[in-house]
Amino acid sequence: MSADPAGTYAFPEWLPLEPISQGSTVIVAGPAFSNAEKLVEGMVAGGTRNGEGALMISTNETCRKLLESLRRTAADLDRSRLGVIDCSGQDIGSGGPEVQVKYVSTQSDLTGIGMKFSALYESLYGVATGGRVRTGLISLSSLSMYVDLRKLFQFAQTLSGRIDSADGLGAFTIDPTTHDTQTVNTLCQVADGRIDIREPEDDADGELRVRGLAGQPSGWQPFSLPSE
Amino acid sequence: MARRILCVDPDGDARTDTVEALSAEFDGSDPTVEFVTAATAADAEGALTTDTAAVITEYALPDGTGFDVIGAARKACADAGCVLYTDTDPDTIDTTELRGAITEYVGKGSAFGADRLAQLVRTTVETKSQSSYPVPQTEPERLAALRSYDLRGDAVVSSLERITDLAAAFFGVEQASVNIIGEHSQEFLACHGGAEEWETMDREDSICTFTILEDAGSMSVPDVTADPRFESRSEALIGLGIRAYLGANLTTSAGLTIGSLCVYDDDPRQFTGEDEAYLRDLADVAIELIELRAAAGPAATAADGGDR
Repeated sequence: MSADPAGTYAFPEWLPLEPISQGSTVIVAGPAFSNAEKLVEGMVAGGTRNGEGALMISTNETCRKLLESLRRTAADLDRSRLGVIDCSGQDIGSGGPEVQVKYVSTQSDLTGIGMKFSALYESLYGVATGGRVRTGLISLSSLSMYVDLRKLFQFAQTLSGRIDSADGLGAFTIDPTTHDTQTVNTLCQVADGRIDIREPEDDADGELRVRGLAGQPSGWQPFSLPSE
Repeated sequence: MARRILCVDPDGDARTDTVEALSAEFDGSDPTVEFVTAATAADAEGALTTDTAAVITEYALPDGTGFDVIGAARKACADAGCVLYTDTDPDTIDTTELRGAITEYVGKGSAFGADRLAQLVRTTVETKSQSSYPVPQTEPERLAALRSYDLRGDAVVSSLERITDLAAAFFGVEQASVNIIGEHSQEFLACHGGAEEWETMDREDSICTFTILEDAGSMSVPDVTADPRFESRSEALIGLGIRAYLGANLTTSAGLTIGSLCVYDDDPRQFTGEDEAYLRDLADVAIELIELRAAAGPAATAADGGDR
């Protein structure tokens, strides 16, 4: 990963993305098995090796499974700068001693997720170089099974507002194939831009296309996950 | 009109510190900010108004908790940003009490304390980041444009009512209206049929607050019970005779949308592209009329019959 130009967040080499302005939130939209979630892991956790904080909200995967996945998507992860909110309601205590983990018993408790996000964000803000914290939410689609669209919009917009006020970076995943157009368009309103993911045409792991963010590559760009 | 920020804390010194930190952050802001304080949940709930833009509250209060205040704020001023600013460890708080209502949390003991609180409250108020609906990126300019028009004159309302009559006749519906989207509410400026009885509606319950975001200039909802944006409010909408909706934006010559011209059907209905184009034409006539009246100035308003 190259150094971050002033006022931006840069990404690992395997991601065909130019740096994104601080304070931004992006929606990463891809169907199941499209590697959208892996992409968000790389965008968020990849910054810890530069001293940034990384906060992952994992709605239905346990912290243990998330950490296993990060071994590939952020191999040089600095766990001391990682915070996880585990909303899976299972496998409590699986994070290990070096990772800050907060547990929420059910995905329907948006109050609890929001408050623990705020508390963990403050904690990471204090230890991260320059107060720089990246946030990943995996996934909006999972939360939508527990709360109605307006509540989910309010929650996502509140997260986005905190990220904006702290000059952070946010990346939230959504599976657009499981929602109608109004739902996807409404949730995308919380973000500054959108990254669409689709199955690749060749032997890459996926293709991405950026919309709404300045200075990004145009058209579909192939990407390959780091080797295991 | 000033925005109100309510600070709730049983500790008088803590209340003063919070207000001082926020006052510095909002110094010189437009609109201005007025601070109100309370020491108890009961006093705080009594101080909530529709103009309350933010509520900052301790969790432990003598007669309840900060969640009681936040729950009351969600009813009295749904758009307000709520922040729990507390000494209480969030891991010890039973969050199910709030039943999914959203609040920010800032620990008083954090290294950043009041400074981070002030930044967060400012962002929350200015971007309405805790509202349950999206706002246009040009919201401040849009509201300024709205304030620049005198929409109270009998003549302008009478002209707009004739446009709602035309819209209702064309679509064969019993209700139509010209709606203005303010900072927190929707006003029914000119109406046809039963819509004349409607009163101001909270912005979060308004369909038009989504319409004003449409780049296409119009939006249809064939059935409010089947649209995820409105299904949780569909019972109240159907009570007003709104099962299907078509709205077209009132967009000023500067490109700012101040409201919509709408028709309502009490049965599910699919609107065609031609329907949307026709309503957009009528909406264009309506905004031209509003702008012409504004350009003519107060003298024209007085000559036309004065204020309502």
